[in-house]
Amino acid sequence: MSNHQDPDQHDSEPSNVDPDAHGGLSRRNLLIRGAGVAAAFGFGSSILAACGSDDEEAGSSTSAAPAADTAADDTAAPGTTPDAGTAAGGGAPSGDPIKVGVLTDVTGAFSVVGASNVAVAQFAANKINAEGGILGRPVEIVVGDGASDAAAGATAARTLVESDQVDVVIGGVASFTREAVKGIIAERGDTLYIWPASYEGGECTPNVYSTGAAPNQQLDPLVPWLLENKGTTFFLAGADYIYPRNVLAYVRELVEAGGGTVVGEEYYPLDATDVATLISQSIDSGADIVFSVAVLPLSVQFHQGLRDGGFEGTIAGTLFDETATVLFGEAATGMICCQDYLYTAVDAASQKVADDIIAESPDTLFTSTINSPAWYRSFYLYKAAVEAAGTTATAEVGAAFDSASFPDNPGGAAAMKPGTRHCSLPIYIGEVLADGSVKVLVDAGVIDPVECG
Amino acid sequence: MESEIRLVFDTLSLTSILVLLVLGMGVIVSMMGVFNLAHGEFVLLGAGCALLSDRWLDSAVWGMVLAPIVVGLIGVVLERTVVRRFYGRQEASLLATFAIGLIIRELVRSRMTIQVATVPPPIESTFTFLGAQLTWWRLILIVATPILLTVCLVVLRKTSLGLTIRATLDNPNLAESTGISTSRTYSLTFGFGAALAGLAGALIVPVLNFFPDLGVRFVIRSFISVLLGGVGSFAGPVVGATATGLPTGLLPNWLSGVWPEVIVICAAIVVVRFRRNGLLGGSR
Repeated sequence: MSNHQDPDQHDSEPSNVDPDAHGGLSRRNLLIRGAGVAAAFGFGSSILAACGSDDEEAGSSTSAAPAADTAADDTAAPGTTPDAGTAAGGGAPSGDPIKVGVLTDVTGAFSVVGASNVAVAQFAANKINAEGGILGRPVEIVVGDGASDAAAGATAARTLVESDQVDVVIGGVASFTREAVKGIIAERGDTLYIWPASYEGGECTPNVYSTGAAPNQQLDPLVPWLLENKGTTFFLAGADYIYPRNVLAYVRELVEAGGGTVVGEEYYPLDATDVATLISQSIDSGADIVFSVAVLPLSVQFHQGLRDGGFEGTIAGTLFDETATVLFGEAATGMICCQDYLYTAVDAASQKVADDIIAESPDTLFTSTINSPAWYRSFYLYKAAVEAAGTTATAEVGAAFDSASFPDNPGGAAAMKPGTRHCSLPIYIGEVLADGSVKVLVDAGVIDPVECG
Repeated sequence: MESEIRLVFDTLSLTSILVLLVLGMGVIVSMMGVFNLAHGEFVLLGAGCALLSDRWLDSAVWGMVLAPIVVGLIGVVLERTVVRRFYGRQEASLLATFAIGLIIRELVRSRMTIQVATVPPPIESTFTFLGAQLTWWRLILIVATPILLTVCLVVLRKTSLGLTIRATLDNPNLAESTGISTSRTYSLTFGFGAALAGLAGALIVPVLNFFPDLGVRFVIRSFISVLLGGVGSFAGPVVGATATGLPTGLLPNWLSGVWPEVIVICAAIVVVRFRRNGLLGGSR
């Protein structure tokens, strides 16, 4: 407990990290930036479905979204993209821009996520334009601020679809935003909606495509590996809302199918302040593995409390990556994670994507838990779909999106699995090391989503 | 054996934390009749003192010393500028204190990129007792709570300040006519309650971590403790906090962790229905 590596919370920006002199991305930079990610993510996805009850309350504050008024400033300035000729696509794009609505939480509790999402979106749009655009047309992003609030998200989505008349909307941070906007965009707006987040699964609305990992993609490789390498008794712990409950229900299934035993399964209320009893129950259960879907802020107390209480087994979960050490300090060491992108797992070309984005916008967090890789591939999957369809019309692009692929996905080739509305992804199992980096233990290969069957 | 030790330790620690947090609210409610919904944010500000002192001075101890002073002063200022305008209008004062709390909380939130921060306790590490590994700082909270409780009792029962406060509570007009400045007394009482909240916040933050909702999550529980124990006496809220804290520590051993709170709140409603003035029913 002596070595608390948490960043200074009162620095409103994690940018006290010096920009790396070599133009690359130092481990430490990645970590400190990553911290915000996971923090925000924990909050974000934590509140997801659990915040359904917030909706009515939020309903009154319809004017909350500065929405698309920031859009004009944030457009990708398609004509100004430098070096267009150097890229594979050849000549500079021309003609009417293809408008991509970028719906994320620029303000509010998840603003750390939103800032990175916008940076990644801008970077991807610029890169596509430099490579010749889509069908020879430039890509222009239009930012809508969901303000970490379902009602504000709905307003922003309406503005994007009705006033800005975007061709596609990519976005949403928390599931409650997805629930609030998907009808507006995909059904009434008849516009393609891409949901770029690892989440609880089950999103099968027409015109909606998910590009993050579904639960089975993380758990199918992870749980059997844990059974084989770390022990056979599991204690399942999480916050009490849809994401942990869905994930842990599936973990239980896999553990029991694999011959292991679940010795306990406990949830703490989302508004809890003290998880002392959960910590004691986890330890008393004598489990080899605590499978944790605890979310911020209580996850810090829970994971540190496990180690302080003398738990010597393995802590594994779906919400860990390079940010774990920054959040949990020494307690993170040895945590087992499973993601579609780990900085150390991917090849030099993939790492360069992260390095380039961070060189351009130094505060950007390029880690799995902030959805950055999913945002990036969403742009390229959309590009592939439009090019296959030869048009931006929703029905044709949707049909093409169903089997779109992106060979240069950071982390390894990704492709939509036809009929599932979800994306087949490369998956890596990793272990958090004492220095905060994640060591890749297993390259699990490409895992298909089991969704919308 | 280990698990029994942990059970007792957790229960004591959960209960002491709740008692610690209720103290300040109890003082303000009982002595002034004001339900201060900004109480949680006073706790948060106290926790913030510990956090900043850890970051700037490398130890949370100074923050713990300064928290009651800083937050107490903030309390006095708020009483003079806002809260006193709403005396005698309970609903309005609820709304006013709620607004104050909201402003403080959202200011803190907007200052934090990462929405949680750890504050290392001044005494780190753990000890082992009959096989169970326990944390020192929780033990210190268990010990500190009764001490603080005693200090409060002494202040209210044995000092002239306490006498003034009680006189003002009992009969403001009579107190005023004997030369006591009731408005000054209200400021001091509110400040004292705020100081207790600040101290509680600084003491608990090494265990619970710092996050913007830290305080507000305790407000409803504190509120219920006060209602359960009974308004109008100092002991009431403390008894109420103990009565709500013990089951939340013990019940998770037999029930899923999401139930104890529900059960405690239901039980509190039943108790308050049949003993309108709480467990210590109106004994001033």
